Amino acid sequence: MTANVIRPGALHRALRSQRFVPLVMVCIAAILIIVPLLRIVMLSLTPEGLEAWQAVVASPLSSNLLWRPIGNTMLLGAGVAAGCLVLGGFLAWLVVLTDVPGRRFLGILSTLPFMIPSFAAALAWGTLFRNERLGGQPGYFTAIGIEIPDWLAWGILPTLIVLVAHYYSLAYTMIAAALSSVSADLVEAAEMAGAKRARILFGIVLPVVTPALVSGGMLTFAGAVSNFAAPALLGAPVRMQTLSTRIYGMVQTGNIERGYVLALLLIVAAAALLYFSDRLVSGRRAFVTVNGKGARTKRFALGAWRWPLFVLATGLGVMTTIIPVIVLFASSMAESSSGLFSNWTLHFWIGAADPQIAQGQAGLFRNPLLMDAIWTTLRLGLTVAAAAMALGLIIAHTIVRHKGTFLGNLLSQLAFLPLFIPSIALAAAYIAMYGTSLGPIPALYGTFTLLVLAATANLLPYAVQSGRAVLSQISNDIEESARLTGAGPLRRMAEIVLPLAIRGVFAGGILVFIKIVRDLSLVVLLFSSTTPVLSMMAFNYAGLGFMQFANAITLVILVICLIASALVHILQNRIQGWKTA
Amino acid sequence: MENGMNMHPPVTPAIELRHLTKRFGGHTAVDDVNVSVPSGSFLVLVGPSGCGKSTLLRMLAGLETPTEGEIAFAGKVVSSGKGGVVTNAAARDTGLVFQSYALWPHKTVEGNIDWPLKVAGWSKEDRAARIDEVLKFLDIEPLRQRYPAEISGGQQQRVAIARTIGPRPGILLLDEPLSNLDAKLRVDMRSELMRIHRATKATSVYVTHDQVEAMTMATHVAVLKDGRVEQFGPPDELLLKPQTTFVATFLGTPAGNLIPVTRQGTALAFRDVALADAALAPGQAEAQLLYRAQDITIGRREGRPGIRARYAESAPIAGQSMVTCLIGDLRVTAMVEGFFRAEPGAEVDLCFLRDPDAIFNAEGRKIPQ
Repeated sequence: MTANVIRPGALHRALRSQRFVPLVMVCIAAILIIVPLLRIVMLSLTPEGLEAWQAVVASPLSSNLLWRPIGNTMLLGAGVAAGCLVLGGFLAWLVVLTDVPGRRFLGILSTLPFMIPSFAAALAWGTLFRNERLGGQPGYFTAIGIEIPDWLAWGILPTLIVLVAHYYSLAYTMIAAALSSVSADLVEAAEMAGAKRARILFGIVLPVVTPALVSGGMLTFAGAVSNFAAPALLGAPVRMQTLSTRIYGMVQTGNIERGYVLALLLIVAAAALLYFSDRLVSGRRAFVTVNGKGARTKRFALGAWRWPLFVLATGLGVMTTIIPVIVLFASSMAESSSGLFSNWTLHFWIGAADPQIAQGQAGLFRNPLLMDAIWTTLRLGLTVAAAAMALGLIIAHTIVRHKGTFLGNLLSQLAFLPLFIPSIALAAAYIAMYGTSLGPIPALYGTFTLLVLAATANLLPYAVQSGRAVLSQISNDIEESARLTGAGPLRRMAEIVLPLAIRGVFAGGILVFIKIVRDLSLVVLLFSSTTPVLSMMAFNYAGLGFMQFANAITLVILVICLIASALVHILQNRIQGWKTA
Repeated sequence: MENGMNMHPPVTPAIELRHLTKRFGGHTAVDDVNVSVPSGSFLVLVGPSGCGKSTLLRMLAGLETPTEGEIAFAGKVVSSGKGGVVTNAAARDTGLVFQSYALWPHKTVEGNIDWPLKVAGWSKEDRAARIDEVLKFLDIEPLRQRYPAEISGGQQQRVAIARTIGPRPGILLLDEPLSNLDAKLRVDMRSELMRIHRATKATSVYVTHDQVEAMTMATHVAVLKDGRVEQFGPPDELLLKPQTTFVATFLGTPAGNLIPVTRQGTALAFRDVALADAALAPGQAEAQLLYRAQDITIGRREGRPGIRARYAESAPIAGQSMVTCLIGDLRVTAMVEGFFRAEPGAEVDLCFLRDPDAIFNAEGRKIPQ
């Protein structure tokens, strides 16, 4: 090794500059996220746009276009956040802090509902509770003669229930993680000080997990507000509109400017609420990580309540995971909704066209569209997972290495911005941006590329977060020691960072994959006949009243997601043998 | 401060730091450091936590860029605040042993040693031979195929050193390498490190907060405080001729006693007890006298000054007792033959057996005699 002194030229200097990488990353993030938003703002300021503003905000139509939907949206957001905190908090407390039997089992069960897409739950609800108000096939209960009132079959209550059932596991995961960071030492110190159980819960445990509660509430709120599937399937048929279903309706009926205006308002509403709740906890976040590893936790004895609470928690998990899947499966095999569990037929899966059933539609696996959709969905999932994780890892790395600098902070803000943008609004922004050709960029509307770009932008926060988690396992020292050997950045990435990160990268990639494979709210606007995806097919079938087909496709999506999770599990164990040793 | 400069022969120093300064925002971590050592030396940077010693080491490794000043290895400038000339970390012929060891957890012991050689472009045969050599040298051959998570802290330490000396760096940098080991292992590893230093002949820079490590291992010591070098020189010189009160009380076991005195007539006195001639501190109204523990004992002696104190604690050391007493808030350590015990709080007479070792002004600088 010789000491060679480098005297960089101008270009070389720029490339080597401390600011080069963050600058490039800021540009990429801006193109993905900021530019479409600016574009949608610009389009809403054209003469047509201003007219749309007028119609949406201040006209006889605005009550229907804006105020009622926004009221429903906020009600759903608040209701879902509250419901999720109660259910998720209860389960997290039970699993982490008590001696309930089967804690591991309950822990896994409580994380599963999030795996079931919200439209699966909504479809299952419809399959069971649909009444005769709208005609078409009634649900199971109505068909066997149990009267189902309108408020239970349609509208805000079923939407709320379905969304809580979908999102509570998110709150559970966050609260459980925070609770397990409350080490036994903390609790025992309080006991030594003479504090009683309730005092410990309210004085020590709750304050420590407050940031997680607020974040959990925030994320479930954001999820509910931007959710499209549940209100579209359960609310829209009876004119219970939310902002997302309104945006979809406007874009569908060609009132695209009104759609832009509503999308902007949805972004502002969601962002404002999330921003303020984030302010609420930002200063306190720090102590969530005080002792990162929850070494040993103190468990409270439940006494006689052990088994009743176990049954309650199990029931909750079963109702939100296994039962919807069983209902979907049974429905896809049942000729009529009254015989959900008898007279099963494989017609809807593999049957040839028969004018007697389903208006002559052939079974799914005889439908060339389905194979096409499976292929497109997989391709979309893999492409987005790869793109988002690659970008997420580089951005996370840049953020960590440039912590505290202006560009580092800016990048961090940009990367997490999509959390504040409901995906249907982001999709609207992408239509605004790429709907027509823009300079050298051709019109991308309806293309696979556009779906990939929008989905990558939408899921960037998750990818960056996974990237961060991955990198936090790789200490600065480990990278510096590699740097000292003289290995270049690419080599360090390939031989040190990546092998250490691979497990987290796979986990993050699979998260992104699953999220996009079962996404409906983003693809519902960007979908076209050249880019058929499974979730969109299911939604269309449901709209046409072919519940069996919709349910069958939903099961296909579920199976893809399950296989993906299983695959990553196997891969992880293969690759990182050194970790378990 | 730079009285070490004249002690080495006029050859190009292996490491030379000139006016080296590092600022982070408004905070100055390293402040105008000037140090140079000849090839083969063992330089120890010692000081309390936050004194800037690790930042200094990271600048030597090329992981940080100086704000001002220069670093030269064997006469070649490798880092410079003004010119922006930086020889990158890999090309400066240094090896760094991290405090956390920073072993790559997904590589075996062998893989950890192999990789830097591979990056440096060594041939397969050379690498295999060198791996055998360093494994044997550090006595960790049986661990060859193990992963870092499977071996003990002391073994990880050896692997970290093996990995660093693998490519035969001309300069070996060590960042508190013993701080994660238990007391017994630390003493063993200390001699091991000195053996490695002798065998590799690499100029070494060693950062520690433990003055015992500094005193036992160094050929040169730089005592740092608040980013500045308080004193630089061979360990004996620092111990015998401390230039500041900080150095006097930081080094040595037990550390020296400082007695604050005021001028009273022709004498320097502590609580009306005349301890030294005022002529020793010309023009000073106040001064501080340095007494070694062995120059203070318990019990009155004819013709020597004494002070009443309260007994606090004692620890037996090699047949003597190291006795700590309190005069007000002032802690004073004395040596007594044999075992000495008393009731804590009991009154004892401290006797100053000799004249002070050194006299410092109120600001803590030595007053030349």
